[in-house]
Amino acid sequence: MNFRKELINHSLMTETIDQHQEGKRDVTFRVFRFNPQVDSKPYFDDYTISAERGITVLRSLNYIKEHVDATLSFRAFCQAGICGSCGMRVNGISKLACTSQVWEELDKCREPGIIKVEPLRSLPMIKDLIVDMDPLVDKMKRYSNWINSTMPLAEMGKKEFLVSEEEFHRYDKATDCILCASCVSECSILRANKEYVSPAVLLKSYRMNVDSRDSIHDVRLAELVKDHGVWDCTHCYRCQESCVKSIPIMEAIHAIREDALECRGPKDTSGAKHAEAFMEDIEKKGKLVEATLPIRTNGMVWTLRNLLPMAMKMIVKRRTPPPPPLVKSSKGIKIFRAMFREMTEHVKQDHQKSHKK
Amino acid sequence: MKPFDIVIVGGGGAGLYAAMEAMKTNPALNIAVLSKVYPNRSHTSAAQGGANAALGNKAKDDTIEMHIFDTIKGSDYLADQDAVEVLCSEAPKIIRELENIGTPWSRLDDNTIAQRPFGGAGRPRCCYCADKTGHTILQTLYEQCLRKGVIFFNEYFALNLAVNGSRSRGLIAMNMKSGRVEAFPAKTVIFATGGYAKMYWNRSSNAAGNTGDGQAIAYRAGIPMKDMEFVQFHPTGLRKSGLLVTEGARGEGGYLINKDGERFMARYAKEKMELGPRDLVSRSIETEILEGRGFESPAGKYVHLDLRHLGADLIKSRLPQIREMSLNFEGVDPIEEPIPVRPTAHYSMGGIDTDNFGRTVMDGVYAAGECACVSVHGANRLGGNSLLDILVFGRIAGHTAAEEAGKFEPGTISEEEIRVSAEELRHRMQPSGHYERYGALREELGQTLALNAGIFRESSLLHKGIEDIAELKERFKKVRVFDSSDVFNTNLMQVLELKNMLDLAETVAVGALAREESRGSHTRIDFPVRDDEKWHKHTLATLVDGKVLPGEKPVTMGRYELQERTY
Repeated sequence: MNFRKELINHSLMTETIDQHQEGKRDVTFRVFRFNPQVDSKPYFDDYTISAERGITVLRSLNYIKEHVDATLSFRAFCQAGICGSCGMRVNGISKLACTSQVWEELDKCREPGIIKVEPLRSLPMIKDLIVDMDPLVDKMKRYSNWINSTMPLAEMGKKEFLVSEEEFHRYDKATDCILCASCVSECSILRANKEYVSPAVLLKSYRMNVDSRDSIHDVRLAELVKDHGVWDCTHCYRCQESCVKSIPIMEAIHAIREDALECRGPKDTSGAKHAEAFMEDIEKKGKLVEATLPIRTNGMVWTLRNLLPMAMKMIVKRRTPPPPPLVKSSKGIKIFRAMFREMTEHVKQDHQKSHKK
Repeated sequence: MKPFDIVIVGGGGAGLYAAMEAMKTNPALNIAVLSKVYPNRSHTSAAQGGANAALGNKAKDDTIEMHIFDTIKGSDYLADQDAVEVLCSEAPKIIRELENIGTPWSRLDDNTIAQRPFGGAGRPRCCYCADKTGHTILQTLYEQCLRKGVIFFNEYFALNLAVNGSRSRGLIAMNMKSGRVEAFPAKTVIFATGGYAKMYWNRSSNAAGNTGDGQAIAYRAGIPMKDMEFVQFHPTGLRKSGLLVTEGARGEGGYLINKDGERFMARYAKEKMELGPRDLVSRSIETEILEGRGFESPAGKYVHLDLRHLGADLIKSRLPQIREMSLNFEGVDPIEEPIPVRPTAHYSMGGIDTDNFGRTVMDGVYAAGECACVSVHGANRLGGNSLLDILVFGRIAGHTAAEEAGKFEPGTISEEEIRVSAEELRHRMQPSGHYERYGALREELGQTLALNAGIFRESSLLHKGIEDIAELKERFKKVRVFDSSDVFNTNLMQVLELKNMLDLAETVAVGALAREESRGSHTRIDFPVRDDEKWHKHTLATLVDGKVLPGEKPVTMGRYELQERTY
């Protein structure tokens, strides 16, 4: 269940709450401001208000907009955690303002009593806390984030597909996604490469690819394995940690990769080759043979063309990784290999179970 | 801009289905969807329960006929029976179509679409996807629209229709990102902007943007509104935000308690207690508060929904969403404290008067969904029929507009018209001497509506309400927009939304005053019974010379004779 266990601060709960005079605390909201029409660069404005227990960050921003500064701009719609409009960074973490408690945030402030509010990262700024969502929509289109039904047009609406409860559970959690873009903002790859597919779009792609009603699994997968696609993820898990709906996004990303290896083979793309080379080293030596990893991933020509200057510098600075013969197997490698084989066998079996199509 | 064949205003369930169906009907048409939010943010996403359709998956003996009867009875016989027949007959087809294009419905053991029982329905016919049905339907429709290449104008705020006599030439709207006023000349316009229940402001469960924009634009263009007085209240909204605590809380055995510690439902429904029908429980809570037995707080009066006796385990396992909401929006853990609740405006049955094909009285203007009043819900909507309504009639409106677009000449909108609209906006942003705060007006509007045109209505209260609204409209003239920026001016947008709510609020209060009977969601203390002889008809509200002109329209009857509505 999607529930935060440490939701209540017990020291606050023990205070006696009079129904007429609930506890109040002074809070300063340090809000990111930027109006492209007049500002050459962003700055922060401080707004101090008195916040009672139970008040959310969004309600506070609404209060500030109504009573203090009408120019403060942010998006908000349902105010109940389902529409995904009010994604923003509160105390540095991307989340929904409408489901964030002010008193809880007070315990997470870097400077006591000051809650920092900033726009989501990795999406173009529009004004104050508002960012442009169009790049995300464009990616949903590029990666065909829709079902292309196997039902012929003439048959539409006449009968149901029969879908097992088991299949439903495969994509149930993924369909919780409200596209709030918190994961987009937290993703460490996107911060370096704006063209990267992005976690939300990978999640949606996964959801479509495991749906038996869909007919373009292969087309979608072919797009996903290209540059800026599924192999670019570095498993930092920040998307999953910040997901406001507690969706296991990384599991979806892993599943796409496994699917890609299975359907398209290990020689498909540099991402697949990299994963394969990685596995090979671990199985053989228990550690990586870094010197040859780029060659096995991207080929000799690419490596010479792209990494030669860096390799020269490494040689000069004596930072080159040891050549393969000098990479000795890790201690206890025999036991490790047995464990490794058992593990990969398990994964294979699980995989076959969940991907019977 | 090149004239469009169809401009759809609103990107929720009705608008997106209309777009999809119009493209299917005639792929050569030039279609645009305008929305003041990204379509996936629309309030369709908040519908948890499900959509009714007599699929017969769960109860094999369910029939379309039974669905029709339940809907008509639920409407307190005010729904048009031919419209209800369309709604219920199309239901199985539309649910299957959604299934075919990817909606992740929950499933039964035989792998068919799952169905569950719902209030007022004789059979379990509500199709659902866990507690996120509206969300998944909206996602599916948005995905399919992206697939088909529907042209979206996201974050455009609709301002007004360009009209020539009895025919529309298109729409004028503001691009939020640039602040520019832009023209959308079009052969046809479909309004699908959702409901107007947010006019009850913090006494409403609706999204901040459910301000009846489409209805207000149509109303100002002279198109009649129908049955505006019918607004459904849900018994248990959270005190501060009006957000819904679903019926599940009472279903699992929660108590409603007043400030004297009484389980007051014993006074109103001895047997069913907290599980009485929605309107009865709402009226009971409101009575307790009005008679001084409610709790008081700066955020308003309320009663307690007490779950503590159910125990931490049950609350955590069966009511996790309710606990999370209560913690997030009231700062109250229902395991340790009762939840402060009061009735909250939840759904608007009234809307733009349309026929069964989505047509309004104006050539080239159509409406669908909560924005329209066909009418299929009459005086009271059944749970599970709102999602169905937007799907069925969104699709019909899209189809009709696509078929009829060819009949109309392409509209043109002059530079002068655009300039006038822009000038009006600019005028609001000029600093002046004394000014009013839009936030205060918005709150006062909600308060006066809740008090005078809310759950209990009465002649003197409604007169007071109408006076208040007139005064607020006067004060609105002095509302000042402080944000002078062209880029994403949410201050300006909220002021324009307030104007829409004020215009519509008048029709709600006037309709409620005219209707001297109690029917469905409309309860008159001074006229406590249903009066079929005088009031078995729809009310209309048309704007003539700046005033509401009341009118009426007969109810289309069919197979079902008038009966008393008892459960």
